[in-house]
Amino acid sequence: MKPDQQIPRNALAWIILSLFTLVAPHVERIPFWVLAVYVFAAAWRIMVFRGRWSFPGRWVKAGLIISSFAGIYFSYGSIIGLEPTIALLLTAFALKLIELAQRKDGYVLLFLGYFICITEFLFSQDLPIVLYSLLNVTLVTTALVAMHRPGEHQFNRKTIRLAAVMLLQALPLMLVLFFLFPRIGPLWSVPIKSHTAKTGVSDFMRPGDISRLGKSDEVAFRVQFEGDIPNPADLYWRGLVMSRLEEGAWRSLRYFDVPAAERRPRPVQTSGAALDYQVIIAPTQQHWLYSLRYATPASPGIMTSPDYVLFTPAEIEDERLYRVRSWPEAQLELTLSDYRRGVELQLPPTENPATTAFARELYEQANNPRAFVDAVLARFTQEAFSYTLNPPLLPEDNPLDAFMFQTRTGFCEHYAAAFVVMMRAAGVPARVVAGYQGGEVNPLNRTVIVHQFDAHAWAEVWLDGEGWVRIDPTASVSPDRIEWGLERALEKEGSFLSDSPLSLMRYRGVAWLNILRLRYDALTYRWQSWVTGFNRDRQFQLLNDVFDGISARKFVLVLIGTWLLVLLPIAFSLLRRRDKHPLPAQDKYYLQFCQRMAALGFVRAPGETADAFCARICRALPGMATDVREITTLYCGVAYAAQARPGDEATQQLKRAVARFRPAKVIGFDRQRA
Amino acid sequence: MPEHHRRTATRGIKHRMRRRFESWVNRRIPPARAVTLDQKRIFIFPSRTGLFFALCLLVMLTAAVNYQNNMSFALTFLLATLFIVGILHTYANLSGLTIRALRANPVFPGQHTEFAVQVERSGKREHFALHLKWPESTESLVNLCEQDTVQVQLHMPVGKRGWYSPGRLLLESTYPLGLLRSWTWIDLDLYAMVYPRPLPSTELPGLATDRPEGAAIPIAGSDDFYGFRDYRHGDSLRQIHWKGLARGQGVQTKQYGAYASRSVWLDWDMFPGLGTEQRLSHLCYWALEFEGRNEEYGLRLPGLVIEPGLGGRHRDRVLQALALYGVERRPQ
Repeated sequence: MKPDQQIPRNALAWIILSLFTLVAPHVERIPFWVLAVYVFAAAWRIMVFRGRWSFPGRWVKAGLIISSFAGIYFSYGSIIGLEPTIALLLTAFALKLIELAQRKDGYVLLFLGYFICITEFLFSQDLPIVLYSLLNVTLVTTALVAMHRPGEHQFNRKTIRLAAVMLLQALPLMLVLFFLFPRIGPLWSVPIKSHTAKTGVSDFMRPGDISRLGKSDEVAFRVQFEGDIPNPADLYWRGLVMSRLEEGAWRSLRYFDVPAAERRPRPVQTSGAALDYQVIIAPTQQHWLYSLRYATPASPGIMTSPDYVLFTPAEIEDERLYRVRSWPEAQLELTLSDYRRGVELQLPPTENPATTAFARELYEQANNPRAFVDAVLARFTQEAFSYTLNPPLLPEDNPLDAFMFQTRTGFCEHYAAAFVVMMRAAGVPARVVAGYQGGEVNPLNRTVIVHQFDAHAWAEVWLDGEGWVRIDPTASVSPDRIEWGLERALEKEGSFLSDSPLSLMRYRGVAWLNILRLRYDALTYRWQSWVTGFNRDRQFQLLNDVFDGISARKFVLVLIGTWLLVLLPIAFSLLRRRDKHPLPAQDKYYLQFCQRMAALGFVRAPGETADAFCARICRALPGMATDVREITTLYCGVAYAAQARPGDEATQQLKRAVARFRPAKVIGFDRQRA
Repeated sequence: MPEHHRRTATRGIKHRMRRRFESWVNRRIPPARAVTLDQKRIFIFPSRTGLFFALCLLVMLTAAVNYQNNMSFALTFLLATLFIVGILHTYANLSGLTIRALRANPVFPGQHTEFAVQVERSGKREHFALHLKWPESTESLVNLCEQDTVQVQLHMPVGKRGWYSPGRLLLESTYPLGLLRSWTWIDLDLYAMVYPRPLPSTELPGLATDRPEGAAIPIAGSDDFYGFRDYRHGDSLRQIHWKGLARGQGVQTKQYGAYASRSVWLDWDMFPGLGTEQRLSHLCYWALEFEGRNEEYGLRLPGLVIEPGLGGRHRDRVLQALALYGVERRPQ
């Protein structure tokens, strides 16, 4: 092997280290045996380095590759899809280490390492992950540098320092490129995250579904209003409208269930003040977006369903930023089509006979829809209904009868479902709406943080002349839930986030911890809003704001200008000639001493030795003879001793002696004596 | 034949281009015994690894575009700009180095000669993985970390008699990232002297009949005493002049007849009818032969006479005269 093809020991150590740090964040989604492959590969390569084992033969390699393919297939049930592909990539990464013999193998391995950083970003672009990946990139770059430092077999701090310095120098250039590089749409469709769980509210609601969300403290989305933040009690984030009741579960109408003529939302007469806000939603793997009614999208690529819910054609796989303008006072669908009316009145005929009979009875007493709504709500308030995160299990048959007349404890979805069933039984069009209610206001950046535990279900009733009216039966049972949020509503029960003892949300009472959490949340929002949520619109907006319109010429000028601004100082500091031989330390100190003497008129003559100079001073100024002799002896000792090294004890002594030496004071003393 | 013509034509173009390139390099980096590398002398271009890296970046960019993933964009751009910054660092690894020609050992044809150069740094920056090589030579990989200078010996086979020019020394490095290769070709004005190939002839023609003037008659036998000289380390104890030592004359060694000198003239005209190179080869053989026999020999070439003598320095003089006979001066 050529000498420049060898991999120094140091580089091998850096490579193995970066291998493990790269795989670490993937641990949660790869099979356990892949980690075992990493340990095995590292152990094998170290044994090869020690000369105990040899590199694997062709057949061994083929066997390893085939068995890892088989392993991935058995672990995921397929090798197609994003997760299996990445697991395969990670396995190949480990196996490549075993056959790492030459520098060119090292290049393949390390470039693959950079790529693995990118695969991590497909799952999360959160700040901690990004910072961690930056560390990974530094380690991989260090390994790359170490491969080009032949003969270096000891750990050397300078290797990682150089890698870090180069990355730091590249960082400003990268930022310019990041904000200027044109964002184009996807070139072709790519494998999606098939194995990631859908999160948040689902399009299928059985009793108990939302209370499960109530136990999670993850952030569903964050909202920033352009004006004042409305009262949290009014923040009903509509996500899904569920009009169908089938087999005890509520679900929304599918696109193709609706006849073509009904697929477009009916125009709405907007009135009152508008709310403008921006939402950054965490990936849900679902289609719908949350908004306050009546919402009109202000970002491209968002559509409105006939029940006035916003959705996107593609599933939300990454954090997504969208802007909305809402008209809270607008009236929805003042006239109801026959088809709509039919849908919103549909009920399985034989289910829950007691509840439906009770509803009809109540309607006859009330005699008009509005009074009937109030009567049902009054029922919830007056009877012994209670609000709980852990409702008892309801029977398969006629669950609402059991809820209304026996258990009488439930979470929001129980109340919403029971309310809508009663409305429909009495002939009042009604539907369930699922989404979130409320949110935590972060005072640091005026955003509203909506958590999963804010998930909520309520009802909409169609009233003549008013259109769809929001009715929240939960507010009748537990006003605290709407006014103050879930934590207050569950105070007595003590069940708020009881399954997650480490959740920071539980410690909102500890002031400094809460401030820290809110600070971090504000940082996350800023990060998502400016970095991960940066898209074509934001780019266009930014360039327009900063450069007052964009043209190709300006683009090139800005790019070249900023790059030169960064690169020229780097080039200058790298290429400037340094002093060929900087003065040794002892000479520097002795020259200091000579300068001080020169200030008194004692200039050392050219060619005058240190000893001769010393003798001359001592004759003229006997008062400082001791000091001058000490300095001279020390200097000669360091300068002419073969084994003296800069920075050793004698040099330090000389330094101190020169620092102590104040000839002006001594002279003053001499004169006084004279 | 058109095929043949075309081939010669392309070869002609190639040859001409190479000549033009060489003259361009010669103008840009003229030959010198010591060359300090600066902007004019350092070339830089992505290495093969760098091109592979660019390909990888393209794949990463495609992934970033297809997944619309901003952090992937950021990482791709970070690596792309690392490449840009790497240009400066790779360049700086050669910048400021001084390469000094030290020596080239004279050698016989077919043997390997040693060229020695010294690499010095200016300033305290560490330089790594400096790869030095002449077109035909062995290669060497050196670092400049603790010491300011490093000497490098490169070996290569030499060509025919005269001055052997190793061509331009290639100094290259891909440090620190391997993505870029910076290099320089320098002509260190360093030549190795190549002696004639020693060619034995059965006997020295004309030595007996046409004995050159001034040649000494060989002294037969090794028992005849002919003088004293000062004791040297290694002389046999039996040859020490013990009586003289006893008389206080210091330690002296008795010398015997085998070491007596005899002068032989090696003459250009000894080999009539042979070509120049063959004559020189025979002369070279006999010079080495007499040197081995410890017999004094002189050399007569047209226009050059070296008085008979013996010993390393004399031998070198004779061999040098033979090596450079007819070679006017160092090639330019």
